[in-house]
Amino acid sequence: MKKFAALFLTLVMMCGLVACGGGDTASDGKEESKDDGGSDGKIELNVIAAQYGQNTNSWWEGFVKDFTAEHSDIDLNVEVVSWNDIYTVVNTRISNNDAPDILNIDVFANYQADGLLLPAEDFVSKETYDKMYPAFLEQSNVDGTIWAIPDLASARALYYNADILKDAGVEVPTTWDELTEACKAIKAHDSKIYPWGIDMTTDEGQAAFAYYTWNNGGGFVDEDGNWTLNSDKNVEAIEYAINLVNEGYTNSDPANDTRYDLQDMFGAGQVAMMIGPNSIPTYIADGGYSVNYAVAPIPTNGGVDSVSAGVMDRFMCFDNEYSDAEMEAIKTFFDFFYEDARYSEWVLMEGFLPATSTGGEILAKEDESMASWVDIVGSCNFYPTAKTEWDDVKQGVINVEQQALLGGNVKELLDELQAEIAE
Amino acid sequence: MKNKTFRKVEPYIWILPSIILMAVFILVPIIFVFRMSLSDVSKAGIIRGFAGFANFTKVINSSAFKLVLKNTIVWTVAVVVLSTVLGFILALILNNEFRGRKIARAIMVFPWATTLVIQASAWKFIIDTDYGTLNTLLLRLGIIEQSVNWTPTAEAYFMWEIACGIFVTIPFVTFCVLSGLQSIDGTYYEAATVDGASYWQQLFQITMPLVRSSLTVSTVLNIIYVFNSFPIIWTITKGDPANHTDTLVTYLYKLAFYNGKQGQAAAVSVIGFTILLICASVYMVYTLRKGDE
Repeated sequence: MKKFAALFLTLVMMCGLVACGGGDTASDGKEESKDDGGSDGKIELNVIAAQYGQNTNSWWEGFVKDFTAEHSDIDLNVEVVSWNDIYTVVNTRISNNDAPDILNIDVFANYQADGLLLPAEDFVSKETYDKMYPAFLEQSNVDGTIWAIPDLASARALYYNADILKDAGVEVPTTWDELTEACKAIKAHDSKIYPWGIDMTTDEGQAAFAYYTWNNGGGFVDEDGNWTLNSDKNVEAIEYAINLVNEGYTNSDPANDTRYDLQDMFGAGQVAMMIGPNSIPTYIADGGYSVNYAVAPIPTNGGVDSVSAGVMDRFMCFDNEYSDAEMEAIKTFFDFFYEDARYSEWVLMEGFLPATSTGGEILAKEDESMASWVDIVGSCNFYPTAKTEWDDVKQGVINVEQQALLGGNVKELLDELQAEIAE
Repeated sequence: MKNKTFRKVEPYIWILPSIILMAVFILVPIIFVFRMSLSDVSKAGIIRGFAGFANFTKVINSSAFKLVLKNTIVWTVAVVVLSTVLGFILALILNNEFRGRKIARAIMVFPWATTLVIQASAWKFIIDTDYGTLNTLLLRLGIIEQSVNWTPTAEAYFMWEIACGIFVTIPFVTFCVLSGLQSIDGTYYEAATVDGASYWQQLFQITMPLVRSSLTVSTVLNIIYVFNSFPIIWTITKGDPANHTDTLVTYLYKLAFYNGKQGQAAAVSVIGFTILLICASVYMVYTLRKGDE
């Protein structure tokens, strides 16, 4: 009897497992149903979008409403996912053969390397494609093909508390020597104020690496795109940054104070200077802070021109074997998204910068402060995200910074990282 | 005859739903993780083929792994041992008759009932150097004149995380032990008192042996929970600086979703699973056998 019961149980369990595995088959079959145009004759379009801030969800809701009103033959689903979860969600969907049609995220190289993406010119109409800043499109170039299009950008600059600098009797620093002197003077003026804000956290430590190395003539890659993580310029730059921490000129815990912590401290007048994105004014206004601040170029060393760090996010299209009608629907989506008025609204929603020249013109006309940022973003450096090693490099430089904070030798650490990446 | 057959099958039918649920939501993912740990997985999460033990050797040879493993052991042992001792003492106190006992028991539940992320955020907020409430309180009371950096080193951060872990684990131990204590017949103690046994003799000869099974359950469950605990460390330090506060779970999360090395992350997961399986089984077999004796 027991044997019978055990057999019965095993059989049922097997059925459960088969049913579970059946999920994959069902999602494989998704293409079939898509080709038929869905049960109600509509073309289904699935989008995963990153959540930039509190307004993102409602903006997309409005977008879907407007879009479906105009294109009733397309069933548009937009899933807005927070930055914390988006990589987990997307990777899980991909490994279950359930990739979205369109994805809005920051990186693309890993998806491209797996042959999952369509070239940009296949999924965007020529008219829309021509609106993009060519320098931005270049950031998604792998072997001569553009794989993703920019949706927005942000650029970084030096923010300083004008009152603190005035009280301490220092000018806005333009070089590292001036910066060190300014820090010294601010510290002497009020020991409770952190003269300089620095973020070397897992969240965004790679930005610190970029600020100091780029403004010392170094960087992640050379002109040919080869990794140059352990260059002398980079070693000098990171040593300088770590020295600022060791001298007590910075926030007390750079490995754990995120940029948002710094922005709060800057807003509260506890940090005198920090490098931050163009969205800081919005952040400070929303946070109810009343601090007298201004913006300046990032200080440099060795006579190098100041380089701003640009961050750019993208749209990409997964190759889900689309029919012609579906391809048209995807193009329609992008044409609709990049319509000038709607696109300006999207960019302004969370205080970002436009990635299209027409968007840039509109915004520059509307707002003078925006005009200078549009100029900055046109000339800034970007992370080498088109390279598949980028994830490892990003985590690697953060690890180097944190090891250096614990007393590690910067040169040795960067040598190790370079060797590891070159493998 | 038919009735008899049905009666034999009946219990299996009743437990069938839970078996199916467990198979689908526990067994299948475990099999997937094992498969992934032995596969070559692309950064986007696509399995490209069989990789043998390559993921395991890469993980074990990485410089961070030893540190992370050490942290995991320190974290699990410190939190489980200290919370068990403190929880046990608290249970003994709460088992006494005193005014406000019910309120005290209700308060005990709070740390347990609150989400771990909220708990950890609160602790982070308390110990922060710049805007922490601990510094503010001490400054207001005039005990300190300048803000104290409570987390000057990575080790200090880890200590605070352990303290937070202990704080949230104590209630579970207390309630497990308390349920054991309440099932002990009072006549044992009366008899022991008549025989002239001291408080300590009663504690070690009567109380301890009789709550052993409750303690075993709470300890085994705690070893598993604490070993796998993610929110406290992730909320407070994300394993920073440079893996110095990482445990296996936060480390594998970073490997999978920050570095895109899902195969290696699965390997770490399998290593963790194996360690847990061995520890929990050894502990359970040892204590239960001792109990039988």
